[in-house]
Amino acid sequence: MRRPSRFSRRARRRLGTLLRRLVLGLFALWCLFPVYWLATMSLKTPVEAASRNPSFLFRPILDNYRAVLDRPEIWGYFVNSSIVALGSTALVLLIGVPCAYALGRYRFRGAADFGFWILTTRMTPPVAVLIPFYVLYVRTGLVDTRAGLILAHVALNLSIAVWLMKGFFEDLPPELEEAALVDGATRWQAFRDIALPVAVPGIAAVAILCFLFSWNEFLFSLVLAGSTVRTVPLGLYSFIGYQQIDWGSLSASAVLLLAPVLVILVLFGRHLVRGLTLGAVK
Amino acid sequence: MAAARSRPRPEAAARRRFVLLMLLPATALLLAVTLFPFLWAFAMSLTDLALTRPGQTRFVGLANYADHLASPDFWRAARVTALFTLLAVSIQLVLGVGLAVLLHRETRGAWAWRLAFLLPMAITPVAAIFTFRMMFHPSIGVFNAILRDLGLPPVDWLGTPGMALVSLLIVDCWQWTPFVLLIAAGGLASLDPEPLEAAEVDGATPWQVLRDHTLPMLAPFLAVAVVFRAIDAFKTFDIIFVLTGGGPGVATRTLNLLAYKQGIEFLSIGYAAALAIVMLVVTIVAAQLFLRRTGFFRPRAAL
Repeated sequence: MRRPSRFSRRARRRLGTLLRRLVLGLFALWCLFPVYWLATMSLKTPVEAASRNPSFLFRPILDNYRAVLDRPEIWGYFVNSSIVALGSTALVLLIGVPCAYALGRYRFRGAADFGFWILTTRMTPPVAVLIPFYVLYVRTGLVDTRAGLILAHVALNLSIAVWLMKGFFEDLPPELEEAALVDGATRWQAFRDIALPVAVPGIAAVAILCFLFSWNEFLFSLVLAGSTVRTVPLGLYSFIGYQQIDWGSLSASAVLLLAPVLVILVLFGRHLVRGLTLGAVK
Repeated sequence: MAAARSRPRPEAAARRRFVLLMLLPATALLLAVTLFPFLWAFAMSLTDLALTRPGQTRFVGLANYADHLASPDFWRAARVTALFTLLAVSIQLVLGVGLAVLLHRETRGAWAWRLAFLLPMAITPVAAIFTFRMMFHPSIGVFNAILRDLGLPPVDWLGTPGMALVSLLIVDCWQWTPFVLLIAAGGLASLDPEPLEAAEVDGATPWQVLRDHTLPMLAPFLAVAVVFRAIDAFKTFDIIFVLTGGGPGVATRTLNLLAYKQGIEFLSIGYAAALAIVMLVVTIVAAQLFLRRTGFFRPRAAL
């Protein structure tokens, strides 16, 4: 066996780092490219946007944004989406955290089957339940209301939230809670005062995920929301329907409607990554 | 211990009550909002309910199911669905894990990398899919412009059966590879580095360390990623609906799109419900087999 000299080993390591960054950089570029392209389209004139030779260099114009902001309904979409996403996220946590704790921390008969049943609620093809959902909503007056959408999004996101948080609680060492129980704390106190504070980063990550999933949800909102509680994705979809050719103003609406997601990512992305990394998913 | 022995019965009852109360809200909500519509859908699948003939619904037993299993449309859609799910999940698994391993070696700026990788799965799918539709456009799309600049012939991204499936896979992988990457990265960060370092000291090559130590330790994390990805890929709707609508012809028509067409467009509710139930049964069986094989249900530290 020939040992590589010190120099060549260092050169090789440097080459490895370079290659690694190249691969990661290419992938990052690929992840960002569609968003970049959408942004450039929104800053082009209709002629440039429909050019057979799409240009990377052009004079940006803001006309498309002016045209979009002239529509008053766009603010309504924001309000609806914000209320629905915040409301459903809060409710998912309120209901999901205790359930995840019991599943992750307590051994009881049928626990595995119960956990699997929660997972099956995510497996059901939407087409199967959309029509019963719709009829149910019409009968109970929930159709085309924010409360109705909140409830639907809770049902959609509860399973993934419970499964992720179950993993966090399983990963926490149980000794602290055991000690508290021996010291006479109730089980509820052990949960609230000891397990819960430690799990906060993980719960925050799940909250961000649920918010994004709810903000982006399309199919259930399409069927269960009427004209009064249109959310952001529905608004965007309705724009696509109206104007097949005007790529520019369509792109501008898409950028505006994406803006909150980007803000959330930049502000809270760190917590999302850290939370998922901390307990990860087991 | 005396304390432990002096509280057998009432303590067990209190424990059970606590667990029940913690599970109750989620159970009640899921029962109300998912089980009830599901049972309803099952009941409808046993009838010939069609909104085109109101008031003439009859109980037909399992006839809808028999019809599906005898129909070439069903089997064609099943093949497309299986192919799409299998390819999407395997590509995303390989890419996601590979990139996570590379990312794990980046000590500085990991946070900025992750922000870029997070973007596709956070972005509103309708907006992303619309963007891809622009980029796939045969004459004014940027993909073909890039190919033209490279001196390559243009590609009809969504127009031919084979290419349409590839294009759908491109979009699905763009959107969801980051999900696998994130879970794998989280798993890598939480692994005990000691066995890995020991193997390196013993002279194992990086590839051997990855194959013999890192990947087996990462397996539980990857199992979760695969389960969630497979469940969602199996019932992918928006990407296919907006980009190809199942076409050209029926080349990319998955089971989910077939069910949508029959239920929402042709209004044959009973027939579509039966198809959806078949899909659910397939998913449940596949997930059970997979999770049991991977030892997912083994109990862990408990109170």
